[in-house]
Amino acid sequence: MSNKMSRRKFLKVVAGSGVLGFGVMASGCKGKPSGGDGWVSSQYEGKGNFPVNLKGRVAISATNPSIERDDEKCILCGQCVDACKNVMGVYGNYPLPLKQEIACVGCGQCVMQCPSGAITEKSHVRKVLDALDDDTKHVVVQTAPATKVSLGEEFGMPQGTSVGKKMAGALKAAGFDSVFDTCFAADLTIMEEASEFVQRLTKKKDEIPHLTSCCPGWVKYCEYFYPELMHNLSTCKSPQNMLGATIKSFYAEKMGINPSNIVNVSIMPCTAKKFEVGREELEVDGQQDMDYVLTTRELAVLLKHKGIDLNTVAEAEYDSVLGESTGAGRIFGATGGVTEAAVRTAYYLATGSNPPADLLDWKPVRGMQSVKEAVAGIPGVGAVNIAVCHGLENARQLLDGIKTAGSSKWQFIEFMACPGGCIGGGGQPKSMDAVEAKKKRIEAIYKEDTGAAKRCSHDNAEIQSIYKDFFGKPLSEKAEKYLHTTFVNRHDRLFD
Amino acid sequence: MAVLVDITKCIGCEGCTVACKRYNNLNFKAKPRNVKDDGNVELDDNRWTVIQKFHGEKNDKLRFVKKQCLHCKEPACASACFSKAIQKDEKTGAVVYYPDLCVGCRYCLVACPYSIPKYQWNEQFPQVSKCQMCSERVSKGDAPACVSACTTGALMSGDRDELLKKAHEIINSDSRYINHIYGEYEVGGAEWLYISDVPFEDLGFKDVSNVPVTSYTKSYLSKVPGLAACWALFLSGIAFYNYRVDKNRKSHDDDDQDKEG
Ligand code: SF4
Ligand code: SF4
Ligand code: SF4
Ligand code: SF4
Ligand code: SF4
Repeated sequence: MSNKMSRRKFLKVVAGSGVLGFGVMASGCKGKPSGGDGWVSSQYEGKGNFPVNLKGRVAISATNPSIERDDEKCILCGQCVDACKNVMGVYGNYPLPLKQEIACVGCGQCVMQCPSGAITEKSHVRKVLDALDDDTKHVVVQTAPATKVSLGEEFGMPQGTSVGKKMAGALKAAGFDSVFDTCFAADLTIMEEASEFVQRLTKKKDEIPHLTSCCPGWVKYCEYFYPELMHNLSTCKSPQNMLGATIKSFYAEKMGINPSNIVNVSIMPCTAKKFEVGREELEVDGQQDMDYVLTTRELAVLLKHKGIDLNTVAEAEYDSVLGESTGAGRIFGATGGVTEAAVRTAYYLATGSNPPADLLDWKPVRGMQSVKEAVAGIPGVGAVNIAVCHGLENARQLLDGIKTAGSSKWQFIEFMACPGGCIGGGGQPKSMDAVEAKKKRIEAIYKEDTGAAKRCSHDNAEIQSIYKDFFGKPLSEKAEKYLHTTFVNRHDRLFD
Repeated sequence: MAVLVDITKCIGCEGCTVACKRYNNLNFKAKPRNVKDDGNVELDDNRWTVIQKFHGEKNDKLRFVKKQCLHCKEPACASACFSKAIQKDEKTGAVVYYPDLCVGCRYCLVACPYSIPKYQWNEQFPQVSKCQMCSERVSKGDAPACVSACTTGALMSGDRDELLKKAHEIINSDSRYINHIYGEYEVGGAEWLYISDVPFEDLGFKDVSNVPVTSYTKSYLSKVPGLAACWALFLSGIAFYNYRVDKNRKSHDDDDQDKEG
């Protein structure tokens, strides 16, 4: 209806409603009450007091750094509650009334499960585009191992296509000044973490079991629900932040760039990384290691915005000094990968020689089983009992078991928040058959490992040279400053 | 029918507000009309219910409060409405607005002690808007849409006396609760009842008298319907006059204008 109306028509309408109103009033008939002409899905019919069906939704605070929601798209299906509660063990696992905050570990599994696309990551695309347009900024990007086997899906490639080199080419075409590989930093993490683990095994026995700390979702979960285990967490920063810190120190120095002019961007399969980059404990000399995180999906948006098609873009190599990676660094993206990589190097650190073939194809820690157990025989150290756990509800059950038993039968436990590890992260491409997609991505990752010339982190020549030129040796003072961190007890934000 | 809101159970998911918008077909894109200094959004014609957050100065605990019409037992809005566009439904207890009866005087906006009814300022044929307690769902035996979407137990619907009993039980068995059921006696009592562990005045609740507003207005307003009827007749007279003028002039411009619409 147009907004113009003649005076006469207006009077007609007013008079009409007057007569109608009078008539209606006189006859005692009320007409229809307002409201009630919309739609709610069928699980909201019937006497509605909870519990009835799967319904409701998770709470997302306006300040959540990882995720946000468009209410208009939300159909109140309850899938996000299912993910948060039954997969991640967060929702419903702390008492009401609330204390200081709504618990969210930022994992993004609700994003993956939301059928209407209402929940999404908090986008950094605009900020990254602005940084790319700013000539005063040196924009550095790094790509996580799990994104290399998934980005192709956003461009119509079959699941499990390895697109690392194409991604490097696309990022260069998009205008990033240097393209580095998070797999390199994964090798760096392994150097630090394997050294730390061997040290804990032999000297600091009270810090055993050693719990991995490269997954920011898991770390926050530990801080929320198991603060008594915080001293068992590896103090190593995640590969993303190790690389960020190295770029703003070693690389900046080498290139003669003022670190404050560097914008560090990462391509991650993960939404929790967006929370991680803002953690104060990670800062070095008051400076954040990382500036922006793009999920795999966001990178696809950015590339498409720039008119870059991954199918046709020219392949490129990762840039040198922080670009070489070994098979060990590449398997970080799958559940069990960190463990396998760490054991390879721990073996070397303890014995001085590379591990035998069975530890290079270590089946017990691979695959989608929720908790995997294995024993690594390391000469000089003995048998090391290891557990690998993914999905935080599984972590809860495992840790509660340890609590009840009073001690852990494992010396090393790997935790990944997302089912399947980072290949199943909350920032990954969505697909109709998520189970199959994860399987294919895992296969692709292990294929990259077997195809690698070097299989162990300590064999990485760039890693060797960065220790020679900058960090000295693992766990050195300088390494502690840039590559290690502390944790925050978040328990009293949820509990009395 | 009544609803008991247990503020200690609310996690601020706003599922209730989405359910309300869906069920009542309200506009999701409409910008809030009134954002308060503390960042909380107020009710408006597209927000019949809102969740307001309280955390800070007065209250160190994070609390969320659902706000909507309280469905007073003695609704001031209804008694202010001379054309009976707001009526208390005896069966469900809902205070229901009938747009067909509304003349747009907006007395209800002024009368409500909680400033609940809002006006569709942007519409060509504006209506008053406020929570209807999903009266049509409730009369079928369903819970209000918002209540049915709440998964934490913060919203419970049922018989008012039973909910009051339950509320008293909760307060008596848990010393954290404030010994006050907001809505039990406020301006004569309401169908929506609140219990909380944080003083109500720290959560934006108005301290109102227990005397119903209607006790002041009833005598005056009983004379209003007659007046309204005269007004309607008067308007109809004008319309008839116009119609005659129109016919006599035999002009087609009006029809053309009508077709534009
Ligand atoms: S991101 Fe993870 S923890 Fe946060 S609401 Fe979603 S599922 Fe829950
Ligand atoms: S999964 Fe998505 S659509 Fe379903 S309730 Fe949660 S936010 Fe809403
Ligand atoms: S709260 Fe206000 S609008 Fe609701 S019934 Fe009471 S007086 Fe009327
Ligand atoms: S009772 Fe119905 S109209 Fe009122 S707030 Fe709830 S959903 Fe909205
Ligand atoms: S649905 Fe329930 S828990 Fe969620 S905001 Fe509404 S009242 Fe609070």
